[in-house]
Amino acid sequence: MSADLQVVWEVMKWPLAACLLFPPILVYLGLHVVEREVIFVDLALAQVATLGTCVALLMGYHFDDRATFWISLAVTFLGAAFFSWSRSTEKGPVPQEAIIGITFVVAAAGVILLLSRVAGGKEELEHLLTGDILNVTKGAIGQRILVFAALGAFYAAFHQRFVLISSDPERAFASGIRVRLWDFLFYAAFALVVVSFVRLAGVLLTFAYLIVPAVCGTMLAQQWMKRLVIGCAVAAAAGLLGLWTSYQLDLPTGAAIVCASGVLLAIVGVFVSIRRRA
Amino acid sequence: MLNPKQFAAFALMAVAATGSPAAAQLRVVATTPDLASLAREIGGSTVSATALAKPTEDPHFVDAKPSHIVTLNRADALIEGGAELELGWLPPLLENSRNAKISAGAPGRIVASQGIRMMEIPAAFDRSKGDVHAMGNPHFLIDPLNAKIIARQIASRFSQIDPKSAASYRANLARFNARLDLKVAEWQKQLAPYRGARIVTYHKDFVYFAPRFGLSIVESLEPKPGISPSPAHLASVIRKMKATNAHVILVQPFQNRRTAETVARQTGAAVLNVSQQPGARPNTGTYFDMMDNLVNTLAGALRTQ
Repeated sequence: MSADLQVVWEVMKWPLAACLLFPPILVYLGLHVVEREVIFVDLALAQVATLGTCVALLMGYHFDDRATFWISLAVTFLGAAFFSWSRSTEKGPVPQEAIIGITFVVAAAGVILLLSRVAGGKEELEHLLTGDILNVTKGAIGQRILVFAALGAFYAAFHQRFVLISSDPERAFASGIRVRLWDFLFYAAFALVVVSFVRLAGVLLTFAYLIVPAVCGTMLAQQWMKRLVIGCAVAAAAGLLGLWTSYQLDLPTGAAIVCASGVLLAIVGVFVSIRRRA
Repeated sequence: MLNPKQFAAFALMAVAATGSPAAAQLRVVATTPDLASLAREIGGSTVSATALAKPTEDPHFVDAKPSHIVTLNRADALIEGGAELELGWLPPLLENSRNAKISAGAPGRIVASQGIRMMEIPAAFDRSKGDVHAMGNPHFLIDPLNAKIIARQIASRFSQIDPKSAASYRANLARFNARLDLKVAEWQKQLAPYRGARIVTYHKDFVYFAPRFGLSIVESLEPKPGISPSPAHLASVIRKMKATNAHVILVQPFQNRRTAETVARQTGAAVLNVSQQPGARPNTGTYFDMMDNLVNTLAGALRTQ
């Protein structure tokens, strides 16, 4: 390893670890979200998590206090409960996407209102959007790995059931599964992942990791497992490309990864349309 | 895993590999351009100084970039404002840069606020009072006499970590002080006709400047430091400006000029684009240029009011 690479490695190794270790669970959740056609749920929940963070800031806690995490999580659980309740099994006249979109804008506006009362609010707002993946520490990664592993096990154990509820809620309901309860469990676990990751990476990067790899996987494959593998590969590639660009051109790291994932999606899209024509 | 020493050795090799001509110079990193400028005044050709914050960036909030970590890792000295000015962004960068030379308490870690007589130290600290710094208002370098105190500290620390150039640091300090004394007299003369003039600022960032030059700040557009201006507060600012005959509003590049313009429309005041950072306004590369620009802009505006 050349000396220059050594320096790059020292600066970027923990962000790199974060970009390789965390996305799999985000990709898995993203696949469910794409399946349910509620794309903006993650953006809305990430925004609700941010709203929770702002509530904590307003109460005088700091960004990194443990209390901030719990308050944020509690608020996000409320959001999760609301989404599982609003997803009724019968098709009502109002699509759920509308409810989700409304939740997103109201939460975003709420964040602005709350932060207008917090010192340095404007900048805090930007920080919540873009996160600080560059300065992630070993400790922060370790904590989240435990949370994500536990949740991964939970999703793996009930994978079939979650897939059924995501793809065919009517049939799940008919076979006697309590769809609303399982929906809440799904969203609550989802909320925990989002809250953990938003604090580290910001709203934009969280959304990008949830959706872009899952969409790539969905475009390229039919089976869940294949989609998951492709999604994880895309997420890892976006992480590597984004981190490399961020270092080479000295750009803010989180935003560079988001843009890298957009570029990869475009490449996959072109590839798929060429394959269709062929 | 590398230990910090090995890492530093690698970093040095990397610098050597890129053939940096500055290899023999003292590598100084400052958090803000004004401190970097003082480092250049004192260090002369013996140091290379870089600032982490851009001149147009709010020194309270700086976006972290990979180069910041590399720069900090390779630094022989770090000059920070202190008094919690950089609290929001510097600690994680320092933690990741792992450089013993600039760790807390090391001779290479220069904290500008040490030795400054701080203003606005709160009696009781409470975050709901806005971004009030427990250690006082950190925008002290805009008073040129504070620049003297900081320059003296920089010179003594440079001499400590680089003893062979101590004589040149001493000489540079003497020259800096002599020039500053002349300039302060000149600036005071320029502003003397407007003694007692009332001004408004966006943030509480000119509290050290105003008393030095006989100006009085009647109000800030922010209701509390770091909190965005609210309609009710702006209404009270407008009333106060009319009552006290204040006709000048100072706005720095990262502050919301449109808010100031709204107030100016109601009061007939002039909104002045000023900056406390060298390099933010055209042709203001050094601390002296920046102060010249600020004093000229102010004097010009007060003359026409």
